[in-house]
Amino acid sequence: MKKTNAGKKYAIFFCQQIDKNQDVNRRSIEKEFGPQIRFFPIPCSGRIEPLHLMRAIESGADKVYVVTCPEGACRYREGNIRARKRLLYTQNLIEEIGLERGMLELIRLKAGNNYTVDKLTRELLG
Amino acid sequence: MITAVRKPMEEIRGMIAPFKKILIVGCGTCVAECASGGEKEVGLLASALRIDAKNRKREIEIKEMTIDRQCVYEFIDQLTGIIENYEAVLSLGCGAGVQALAEIFPVAKIFPALNTTFIGQTKEPGLWIENCRACGDCKLGDFAAICPVTRCSKSLFNGPCGGSKDGNCEVDPELPCAWNLIITRLEEKGELGRLEKIYEPVDWSKMGKGPRKIMREDQSI
Amino acid sequence: MTSSRLKKILEKGHFAVTSECGPPKGADPKAVQDKGKTLKGFVDSVNVTDNQTGVVRLSSMASCVLLKNEGLEPVLQMVTRDRNRIALQSDILGASALGLRNILCLTGDHQSFGNQPQAKGVFDLDSIQLIQTVRKMRDQGVILGGEKLTLPPDLFIGAAENPFADPLNYRAARLAKKVAAGAEFIQTQCIYNIGRFKEWMVEIRERGLHKKVFILGGITPLKSARMAEYMSKNVAGIDVPAEIIERMKSVPAGDQRKEGIKITIELIKELQGIEGVHGVHIMAIEWEDAVPEIVREAGLAQRPDVD
Ligand code: SF4
Ligand code: SF4
Repeated sequence: MKKTNAGKKYAIFFCQQIDKNQDVNRRSIEKEFGPQIRFFPIPCSGRIEPLHLMRAIESGADKVYVVTCPEGACRYREGNIRARKRLLYTQNLIEEIGLERGMLELIRLKAGNNYTVDKLTRELLG
Repeated sequence: MITAVRKPMEEIRGMIAPFKKILIVGCGTCVAECASGGEKEVGLLASALRIDAKNRKREIEIKEMTIDRQCVYEFIDQLTGIIENYEAVLSLGCGAGVQALAEIFPVAKIFPALNTTFIGQTKEPGLWIENCRACGDCKLGDFAAICPVTRCSKSLFNGPCGGSKDGNCEVDPELPCAWNLIITRLEEKGELGRLEKIYEPVDWSKMGKGPRKIMREDQSI
Repeated sequence: MTSSRLKKILEKGHFAVTSECGPPKGADPKAVQDKGKTLKGFVDSVNVTDNQTGVVRLSSMASCVLLKNEGLEPVLQMVTRDRNRIALQSDILGASALGLRNILCLTGDHQSFGNQPQAKGVFDLDSIQLIQTVRKMRDQGVILGGEKLTLPPDLFIGAAENPFADPLNYRAARLAKKVAAGAEFIQTQCIYNIGRFKEWMVEIRERGLHKKVFILGGITPLKSARMAEYMSKNVAGIDVPAEIIERMKSVPAGDQRKEGIKITIELIKELQGIEGVHGVHIMAIEWEDAVPEIVREAGLAQRPDVD
């Protein structure tokens, strides 16, 4: 992890569909980074609610990622599209209270790749 | 249902600026259906205000509460014993809800967090349209159940204004011309002839000479 | 009491020529008088617009009186956008008392298009209800609700119609309704697509409406190819065919006004040949100077004397 990221807190919401072994894979990261990082696996990114994102910010996250499966690849058809719309809504809300939109970021994975949560997290934070 | 949209945060922040202990009251009926004043929205607003206060190093205590209806005494009464503990109340009810709260708790400082907008229909998820102005003398029977008072920008009763383009209203090209809808629907039913009759000037007094009321003996106690 | 000259001209079967005058954005009588001087002798009557497109201007009624004093015959345009039935009926009486003899009943453009978009639109009556109201006042001597007038107004009653408006299957029915409400003359929206206008007239004749109401075809001379394109794209309910735009474009910018006048004259000649068309209404928006030339070249400068 880079120096600039030191001490920063992260919340990562991610669609469980992207890594079947997310349960195991995220453990090493959680161990390494401790309370600096929190994972929120969700059955489908379409289930994400603005309130979840706000609560993550409220509990101290400096950066919130929402990781979705590729557009068109959603198991529940349009969940990832919905996730994007909800994120946009929340970005508008936090902007209204003077926060950077960039605190909330949508990561849409590329189709055809196999991802694991731990590798992905290192990429995001790296 | 009555629809509403949240006021800008700036305005809400301004209203509650002098206060530390705030009660946010949502309403579980119309404004919940249009996703502006239900439990979820209460939570969002509370969260945003807490984050904002923290960033400004201000102390704030917020309680969230959503009652089934903010315009009916039986439900409002649930706030008795709670509301008194707060310096200010942000209501996420429609205008009627805000006023009802204020009437029942005249000492409380009650502020509207929503702009009440119209009586409308949920057309599709995320889209609400205005379709009734509560004119007090429903004329839908004559117009294939499409309201000319509300859905025609000029409230015309005797046919379109002539400015509609591609079936949309000249005033807002994103909305369908009510008269286009009326004519199409009547034609489908083979009832276009209905429109030959001249519709006499409307009795707008039914829309209220001032505030309206409904009184029913059978419902009173 | 003198009655409407326009009415007499139409009743005698002359091909009427009417025009339009937009009042100034100020309390300037001279602007109206000057327009009147330009038009005088070339047209049978002059419509005065009523805060057209929702832009505040010198009042239509006042401008009408100014024109009348110049010896012209004004047509008072009245929209229902800005006045409720109390004000409308009061102004109808006022117009008649001031010696105005023609009224054109309109709903009016929506206030959101003008320079007072925050205004509350009234729309207490619509244009058809207004026609009916004037008719009632004049013929039955009563106002809405039935109260008697001491002296009924004397007005020749007109309405506007757009032959090109959506929905197409309703266009003739709409005119029928205006006639049933009591309109005695109709001035149409500007015509560029003469083919479609002729089709409309067929429908009008099928319903026998041309025998019940005087129809004046509206024409607006084009000043430039740009104006043609703008009207076609941006003005609701106006149909400018591609050939006309092309024709305007085919001449150099400096000659486009001339071309516009030429097209106008051709259109007027076409109108004269259509059964059931009783006149032309020339709306030269802020270009009143063009009217005498158009009228002269269309061979209509000799206006009939009916008084
Ligand atoms: S006619 Fe009146 S009551 Fe009926 S829908 Fe329209 S505004 Fe509402
Ligand atoms: S375009 Fe249609 S809806 Fe709009 S004002 Fe005209 S008639 Fe009414």
